Amino acid sequence: MLKKPRWDIFCTIIDNFGDAGFCWRLARQLANEHGLEVRLWLDDLSILSQIEPAIDVDEDKQCLRAVEVCCWRESFVNTQPADVVIETFACTLPDNYILAMADLPQQPVWINLEYLSAENWTLDCHCLPSFHPHLSLTKYFFFPGFVEGTGGLLLEKSLLPARVSFNNISQDIFFQELGLQSRRDGELYISLFCYDDAPIEELLSACVISDVPIRVLVPQHSVNNAIGMFFGIDSPTVGQVLQSAKLKVCIIPFLEQDKYDQLLWACDINFVRGEDSFVRAQWAKRVFIWNIYPQAEQSHRLKLEAFLNLYTERMSPEMSVAVCSLWNAWNGNGQMINAWPIFAAQMTELTEYSNKWIRQLLPIGDLTSNLIRFSRKDQI
Amino acid sequence: MKTAMELRVGNVAMVDSAPMVVQKCEFHKSGRNASVVRMKLKNLLSNTVTEAVYRADEKFDMAALEQENCTYSYYADPLYVFMDSEYNQIEVEADCMSEVMNYLIDGMEDICKLTSYNNKVISVELPTIVVREIEYTEPAVRGDTSGKIMKLARLKGTSYQIQVAAFVEIGDMIEVDTRTNEFKKRA
Repeated sequence: MLKKPRWDIFCTIIDNFGDAGFCWRLARQLANEHGLEVRLWLDDLSILSQIEPAIDVDEDKQCLRAVEVCCWRESFVNTQPADVVIETFACTLPDNYILAMADLPQQPVWINLEYLSAENWTLDCHCLPSFHPHLSLTKYFFFPGFVEGTGGLLLEKSLLPARVSFNNISQDIFFQELGLQSRRDGELYISLFCYDDAPIEELLSACVISDVPIRVLVPQHSVNNAIGMFFGIDSPTVGQVLQSAKLKVCIIPFLEQDKYDQLLWACDINFVRGEDSFVRAQWAKRVFIWNIYPQAEQSHRLKLEAFLNLYTERMSPEMSVAVCSLWNAWNGNGQMINAWPIFAAQMTELTEYSNKWIRQLLPIGDLTSNLIRFSRKDQI
Repeated sequence: MKTAMELRVGNVAMVDSAPMVVQKCEFHKSGRNASVVRMKLKNLLSNTVTEAVYRADEKFDMAALEQENCTYSYYADPLYVFMDSEYNQIEVEADCMSEVMNYLIDGMEDICKLTSYNNKVISVELPTIVVREIEYTEPAVRGDTSGKIMKLARLKGTSYQIQVAAFVEIGDMIEVDTRTNEFKKRA
């Protein structure tokens, strides 16, 4: 019987939940869908435990959902490298681990899994080698992306069927679990997950003067203070409902990954951020607005523009203007109060477009399968 | 030591014990203030060219290279022999001659720059401008002296052909830019 290929995924948590969230999804998919032996090395289990409550932060090694989760604090002196080694988001592998890779008779497939970007240069760099300056080791750069010629996006086989089977009954059950009432006809549901510097007050002000009732669901996180300030209260807590005119803001618990997907499916509009929730929102077949990770020298603006160019390419001019104006305003370049009504007027068309966008993404294949395919290439 | 971000075209970095000259580099911001550098590298030992990508903070040892000015002396099959200012003979393999061959003629006095790594010549560089004689070209076109209309011409001694201005004739001495192989003017 052939031995299962072993994969090691390394992740250092720079900030927030995206690093751990992405790696946890990747690890689970490799193990559960592809039957691979997967170790996930994380330098901070407490972050993962917020996304996956079953994680025991005091355990250095534990097996969960067919993945061996290891706390990355050991010296790696006696660690046998895996057949495929993934360093995520340019984290630096432990020196001892790299030396152990170089000592192996057959070099493991070593992949640096990069950040997601729609910029064209990623196509030129995708799958290029990176020869180690001092050792006989070659690492390959692998870029996720939205077009052919990139690595694609994370997508589990079960995600889209689960999305389809998520009906009104499952939606009611989901809201009940969150302590919320069932959806009311004519009410617009919005989920809100963003960085601290997003113009939250502007968004809420725009919602207050909306013609339709709006309910904003906010998983408990750092932006709650800004929400509290808008309503003139201190940090709102889970379960609290804040109201102004036709706007209601509900603070819900921070959700584990599978539940967060359901939140995206249950809402009409999803404000998402970074990479992980941004990708999940695309598979949710709902209208979404991206809060991009802010970078030095405003370089995130180029990345936002690159994605908008791609995403709006097949939209009508009106829809494209509505999307670009609101997304730019949400990322600090424009007025939400002006952009919101124009965007809201395009809701029906935008929801339809979400389906078209998925059809555009599917032929690229999912990131995990593309990674496996690449790792098996004869030339590596 | 230099980081990938500090490397420039023409720098020679050591990559797994091989000196690699940077022929092209592009800097890109990836995510969360991280960056990558895409490079075209030429292995000076094997002459192979490869594309690679590095994290901007990847550290490289720089190759310890020696350079000296020499003149071409003669061909001693299969080696090309150059002479330094102290009349020492230096043998160079054909692989290192690359585009120099296009302009290599007996008795040439051009000062060439020989680059060595571990006492082995790895590249030969001609002066930016060399003067060569036209061995053959089609007759000059009457009436056009602008230099904008070009035609093919064969250099004496090498049979290498370049585009020259239409007014250039057989026997003319011309200046050629060896970086671009472009005709500059009549010498």
